[in-house]
Amino acid sequence: MSISSPERTKTPAPAGVFALVITGAPYSSQAPQTALHFARAALAANKRIDRIFLYGDGVYLASSLNVPPSDELNLSEAWAGFLTDNNIPGIACIASALRRGLVNESEMQRYELSASNLRAPFEIAGLGEWVDSTASESRVLYFHKGS
Amino acid sequence: MSTLIIIDQPPYGSWEGREALDMAFSLAAFDQPVSLLFCGAGVNWLRKGQDAAKVQQKSVERNLAAAPIFGVEALLADGNACHQYGLAETDLPDHVSITDFGPELTGHFDHVAFAG
Repeated sequence: MSISSPERTKTPAPAGVFALVITGAPYSSQAPQTALHFARAALAANKRIDRIFLYGDGVYLASSLNVPPSDELNLSEAWAGFLTDNNIPGIACIASALRRGLVNESEMQRYELSASNLRAPFEIAGLGEWVDSTASESRVLYFHKGS
Repeated sequence: MSTLIIIDQPPYGSWEGREALDMAFSLAAFDQPVSLLFCGAGVNWLRKGQDAAKVQQKSVERNLAAAPIFGVEALLADGNACHQYGLAETDLPDHVSITDFGPELTGHFDHVAFAG
């Protein structure tokens, strides 16, 4: 007897478009890596990803200062490469980012800080980007830190 | 597209609940229908008379009082969690309704998101 999962009979994203929200930080949660595996699988299945939205501790993924040991996966680098290669916007929520010390050039100047650390191609923007995904046909998936 | 934001984290222990509240307020600001549900330890958000001055934070009770003003459609509390944490209906703010958290409730929304 074969068991079919709901995903096999009905696509979980009717329009074939996903938006991913990552709220778990790299190295203290599995969220960014699981999200990356999902994103690669989605594109391989000819689905589309309209944007990646980093929220809460997820913004640490967009730091250019992460330096894991050379025999460990650099999750920020892996995500940045994936976004660039596939021309997918990666947005870090500005309120979450500023709280946690993640700034781009313009925020560095605005707050007269000594450095910026946002890794390209990530951008900083407001929650309106996430609202845009929820109001669209995209299926929004959340990658939390877990309990 | 109606959205239910679920806060299942206690107040003051992390920023996840506050950031979930920001999500709800953003949806409302963009005229998107949104409701909030408190379940698990998250029902402690609904206690009256909170004083967060000693942890140098803003009271979540005051943050939450702004929800109807922002246009959040409903504030819901899971009845089982309220019972577990010793909160009677009369203990809750006026604009909060007790409900049962389950698929029947979440099925009314197009989009459901947890705080973290």
